[in-house]
This record gives sequence, structure tokens and C-alpha cells, in this order.
Amino acid sequence: MARIVLGIFLVLLSLMPAMAEKQPYLLHVLILCFLYAIPAVGLNLMLGYAGLVSLGHMAFAGVGAYTAAVLMVDGHWDFWLALLAGVLAAGVAGAAIGAICLRFRTHFFMIVTLAFGLMLYSVMNNWDEVTRGAAGFPGIPRPAPLGGFSFGPLPNFYYLALAAALAAFAVQWIVVRSDFGRVLAALRQDERLAQAKGVNTMLYKAAVFALGSAIAGLGGVLHVSFLRVAAPATFNLAESINAVLIVIVGGAGSLAGPALGALVFVGLPEYLRAAAEWRLVVFGVILVLIVLFAPQGLAGFVKRARA
Amino acid sequence: MLSAVLEQTLNGLMAGSVYVLVALGMVLIYGVMHVLNFAHGVLLMVGAYVCHFFFVRLTGSYPLSILLSAAVLALLGIALERAVFRPLQGNLRNQVIASLGLILVFENLVIALWGPNALQMKVAATAALVPLGEMRFSVQHLLVIAVTLAVVLVLFSFLKFSKFGTAIRATSQDRMAAMVVGIPVERVDWITFGLGTALAALGGALIGPLFIVFPQMGDAPMVKGLAGILLGGMGSVPGAVIGGFIIGIAESVSTVFLPTDYRDSVAFIVMVLILLVWPRGIFGVSVRGED
Amino acid sequence: MSAAVLEVSDLGASYGGRRILESVSLRVGASEIVTVIGHNGAGKSTLLKSVFNLIPWRSGAIRLQGRDILGLAPDRILAAGIAYVPQSRSVFPKLTVDENLRMGGYLLSDKALLAARIEKVRQLFPVLAERAHQLAGTLSGGEQRMLEIARALLMDPKLVMLDEPSIGLAPRMVEAVFQTVGMLRNQGKAVLMVEQNVRKALAASDRAYVMELGEIRLEDAAPALIGDPRVARLYMGRR
Repeated sequence: MARIVLGIFLVLLSLMPAMAEKQPYLLHVLILCFLYAIPAVGLNLMLGYAGLVSLGHMAFAGVGAYTAAVLMVDGHWDFWLALLAGVLAAGVAGAAIGAICLRFRTHFFMIVTLAFGLMLYSVMNNWDEVTRGAAGFPGIPRPAPLGGFSFGPLPNFYYLALAAALAAFAVQWIVVRSDFGRVLAALRQDERLAQAKGVNTMLYKAAVFALGSAIAGLGGVLHVSFLRVAAPATFNLAESINAVLIVIVGGAGSLAGPALGALVFVGLPEYLRAAAEWRLVVFGVILVLIVLFAPQGLAGFVKRARA
Repeated sequence: MLSAVLEQTLNGLMAGSVYVLVALGMVLIYGVMHVLNFAHGVLLMVGAYVCHFFFVRLTGSYPLSILLSAAVLALLGIALERAVFRPLQGNLRNQVIASLGLILVFENLVIALWGPNALQMKVAATAALVPLGEMRFSVQHLLVIAVTLAVVLVLFSFLKFSKFGTAIRATSQDRMAAMVVGIPVERVDWITFGLGTALAALGGALIGPLFIVFPQMGDAPMVKGLAGILLGGMGSVPGAVIGGFIIGIAESVSTVFLPTDYRDSVAFIVMVLILLVWPRGIFGVSVRGED
Repeated sequence: MSAAVLEVSDLGASYGGRRILESVSLRVGASEIVTVIGHNGAGKSTLLKSVFNLIPWRSGAIRLQGRDILGLAPDRILAAGIAYVPQSRSVFPKLTVDENLRMGGYLLSDKALLAARIEKVRQLFPVLAERAHQLAGTLSGGEQRMLEIARALLMDPKLVMLDEPSIGLAPRMVEAVFQTVGMLRNQGKAVLMVEQNVRKALAASDRAYVMELGEIRLEDAAPALIGDPRVARLYMGRR
């Protein structure tokens, strides 16, 4: 049943550019959904599966985005190589900073991730020579054509974003089902027990921090390539908080959670009939209600409705 | 050079005063309920808007508006404690996430009600400039520092000498023991929460006339108040005061030596350094089972 | 048989969905010292917590001098006349000894009465008078235990419940603690205590219950139980 629904959903998504030919706005919103869902997948691995609540997640997306931007614009690198470098840079930054943050627990872990996120943001915002500072990094190219397929037009970029999002979800699916994922689940349940069984918990948590950050980097590179500009505000504290909210609303620790969360976070405000200013208020209230009454998030509702 | 440092020290005391007011509220709530309320900065911002509303629209009296704003925010804090934080008691992760949701709610609620643009809050009485040596500071500048010091003094006396203040300290040291001796811990919770949000409102009402009132005005004070708390030792009330002032002065004085762009980074760097090198802070507080 | 201060009948308790107490009944008479002994996990601590309403799910009846107190909140139970000293350290470490005592009388609104009671407690525990302005966290383990017991007297309870009062103390302090328990009886208090140090606890007690797996298995006068081979086989060898 779930597979059939998933299949129909994927077919619909892949036919969307043809169906929505006259509605570029719809494609635009869907692309943004994908671009928000990708870092959320990374955070879901950390938060949902390993219990690591990072409040600086989007800063790692920024590391990836700015790395790729500098390489493409100043270094004249090819987009795809720069994308790869951006993902790697985010992953390496995640491993290094994660190793430091993981020395702390509970509130202190959150505070350190918050502080590192702010520091990275501050670098993006202030290192004018490299990042072009607060005004943003202009002139970021769309992806280079691949086998004659250009990513300039909106529907074509749509396919790229969709493919990247699917890739991120595939990685999540593989990781969760792997031995690695099972160890993470055991860690989240009872870290002491896992340690007593000889698991190097630090290594596993640093690895998931690095992986989550690398996935965030993928989202970051595509995001700035889509907007054609990298702005520090795309990777600030508010966006990191939004990433947490997307994961929670979607359902932390569920495979489809980041997709549901991003759809609600990006899509719902765009289409809510209420006055524009009230959309985010409503979203915030929904979030608090979900935390209070439905800690499994939307994915939990879906699961319960099916059961 | 020296006069620049002195001037920035006074500026830092002013900025630090706001961090102290935020830090005090956060650390009191953290001590009693073990809740780290990331929405505390947003409550400061709401306090500034409420003060602006009373001052510009209704009363025209700045002192009265400050008091009314603190009262309104205390009620708001009590409501939040009841509706959001008490039901999540013991679930640290969900409390933090709920506080993140509250940031979204209040920031956008304010935008919906007052619009995204900054408001001016001109208080004629405190706009006058006072010469201090070669420098001139506004009365408001000095008022912020004086009121903060007075509040700190009153708060400390309350915590030290009053029965209920002692009960607040007792509850934050050992909640189970507090229940055993008959301290009504839930009442301690909501009163502390209301007190904490009132202090945040006071911070917002005090800096409103110095700068402008805008929806993101509480973000930096929250982060820097938090840095002050870490510096003082997570959970220590006197530590929060000293830490808040140090952060304020350090970042102001840094502008003499570093580009002003890096002013905000001082607090972040202090936060990370403190946690890495000196996690117990100045007052060496060990916090229940946390590293 | 004197009138019961505390009468527990058919008390059941669950914690986190797990049944910990099954239909426990016991009584403590006026000025009587009653000890509950048993293995770890037998439910002894849960029994005391249940009486003080610190366990969310309970059934049965708890009467204090005939009055049903099952549904009362802990502070009301304290006001009604039961004080509880938990097993884990429960002094407020960063409050002074005096402040700790004053918190013990939190529910008293009469300041003169509070002062008089603190004075009385200081006479019973002279060391606390000497250390009045010292932070409680700086006291020795035994002194902290004395402070906890002293603090429990501020509400002038009819019954004092002690959870493992001798645990973690040096042998000399263990003696002192059991002497203090005897002194409580001289002050007209009834005592219900839970102990691992079976021999010493029984020596200090009037009556005792043996608990196993959440149920009372034996009840007898304390001196009789000291000689009881079942008790000896179960517990004495371990100490």
C-alpha cells in the first residue's frame, strides 16, 4: 500500500512540469520545497535518528554553498565539481565542528551548535573579500548543461532539484536500514548500554553529524544556484531554527518526515488563505501544538490514520 | 585611545545591562524548571512593543508604560508556563523545540500587528545629553544602567532574604527536597517564569528609546545573555549578572581594536571558548548530571 | 494496642506501568518505631513515597489518625502530620543550615512559632546550632542526615518516615542516626523507617515488617524478628 502511494506520488511529481506548464509559480514553490527538504533530511538523520538537536544546521548548508560559489565564480570551476566540493566541505566542517560539539550533552550541545552556527554565519556576513559580505554573493551560475540538457529553464531545474531530493531521501533510507542506522537507534535509546557493549558512540555520532552536514551542503549549493545569489540570511539562526521545525512538524525519525515538513513549511504558507502576516503565526502555533499533543509529527498522524 | 576605551566601557555597561536582564530571567527559569527558553529574546522584543504601545498610544508616561509592559509580559510568561512548558516538564528536547516555535509565533505576531518596519520611541525626558569628561551620554543611557543595577539589587535581596525567594533558590537546588518540605513547587515555577519574562520586558522597554523597536531586536540580547550565563556558570544567578556585563563590555571595547563588523562575534567566541575550556564558568556551578 | 497513627490498607502502587506494590497493609502506633526490611526492589521506598503521594498511581486507603489522606497533595500531607526524609541527599546544599531549617517550616505562617520550633530543634541537634550559618553542602554526610531529620521536625509531625537513614554513613554516624530515631520516639513521634542495615534497625525498633516483591511477608515484634531464622537466612548473612 505504502509503495503504491509512494509510486503514484513520484509519478505525479515527475509529471508536474508538464501538468503545470502554465503555472511556473507552482513549480517554483515545489522547487523550494525540495531545497528545504534536503537539509531537513540531513537534520532528520541527526535529530530524529541519533537524537542530536543541532541549532546551527543551516550554517553547514552555507559552508557548502559558499565553497561552491567561490570555486565557481572566482575559481571558474565546473558546477558539478564545485557541487561535489561544496558537499565535501560541509561534511568536513560537520565532522570537525561536530567532534567539538559532541563533547557536550543536552542543553549544552544545543548551545554549542547554536554558537558555531552563529560564528559561521558571522564569517559569511563579514568576510567581505571572500563571501562578498552581507549584500550577498551575486552571479552564481545555474548548473552547467549535462549531455545537452540545460538546467536554466525552470522545469529543467525542477528535475535537478527533484533528483537531488530523491537522492537525499535514498541516502536516508539506506542509512536507516544499515547497521550504522541500527547502532544510531541503539545510541538514542540508551547510550550507556551501547557504550558498555563496546560501541564507540563518539565516532558514530560524529559520523552522522558529518553526513547530515554534507547533505545540508548539497541543499545549500542547489539553493544558491537556484536563486543565483548566496545571501548570509539564507543560512542564519532563523533558518536553522526553521530546519528544526520542519523536521519536528514532519515527524522526527520518520523517513517521509522531512518531505511532509518541508511541504507544510513552504507550501502551506504559500497557499493559506489567511492574511499573509498571519501565516507564520499559524505555523508557529501548529508547531507548538504538535510538540504538545503529537510528538510524532505529521508522519505520526499518517501512520495512525493507516493503522 | 584610553578615552575611547572608557567610552566603550560605558557603552558596554549599557548593552551589558540588557544582557543581564535577559540572562537573569533565563537563568532563574533554567534553575527552577530546567527549561532553557530560547524564546526569551522574543519576549524582550514583545515587551518593547507593548511598552511602545502604552507609551505612544495610551498613557504618554514612560515609567508607567515600563511597569505596564512588565506586568503584561509577566502574565504572558505565566500563561506560557501553564500552557506550554509545564505539560512538557521533564522533556528537555520538546521544551526547547516548543520555545523555538514560540519564537516564530511572537516574531510574526508582532509583524502582523505592527508591521515589519521599525518603530521610533522618543522619550523627550531622557533624550538630553549629559557630559561625562570629554564624552556625552544620554540620560536614557545612564537610566538603563541605573535601573538594571537597582533591579539586580532588589532581586538579590528578594532571593536572599525573603521566604519565597529562599524557596525559589531551594527549588532550583533540589526540586524533590522542596516538595518534601512542603514548598509548592508549581507555584514557584509559574511565579519564576512570570518574573523572568517581566525582566525581559524591562530590558526591551529600556532599550526601546535608545535604538529602535523592531521584530528581531531580541535575537542578539538572547544569544548574548546566554553567553553571559555560560560565562558566569550555567545556573548561577550572580554569575549571570557578572557574565552579562562582561560580554557587553568586551564586545563594546572590541570595537576599539577590531572592525565593528566583528562586534557580535565576540559573544559567540566567548561562548565556545568558555564551554570548551572552562565549562563551569566563573562561579563554578555543576548542573545536575550535565557535562 | 494503642490507636494507630498511620494505617495503610490494601495499598497498591504502579510506576511507569509496572506494578510495584500489591495490597500492602500496615500500621504504626503512637510513639512506635516500625521498620520495613526487605531486599532491594522489594518496594520499600515506593511504600514511603506512596504514603507521601509521590507516586502517580495508587489504590487502597491511607489513614492518618483515622483521616483518609490518600488524595492529599504532599504539602497537605505534611501539614496533616507526616514528614518524609527521602533516601537521597535532600538538604539544599547552597542554603545555610538555618535557611534549610526555615524551609522545613515553609508551611508555617506564624513567624514566632517557626522561631520557637527552630530553637527547639537546635537544642535537640546542637551541632546544627553551631553550624547555623554554614552552607548545608559543606556539612559531613552524617551532619547532613541530621539536618534532614531535624528539618522534618519543623512541622511538628505525628509520624516521621525515614528512607534508609543510615545509608552511606560512617559506622559512628550510623549509631548516632539510630539514637536519633529513638529520640524521636521520646519526643512523642511515631517513626516508619525502611532500612538495609537490618540488625541495627531491628535493635532500634519496636515492630517490623518484612517485604518481598511488593508484599508484606512477615510482621512481628522487632526483637522476635532478630532471632527469626527466616530473617536471619535472608538478610543477616549479608551484613
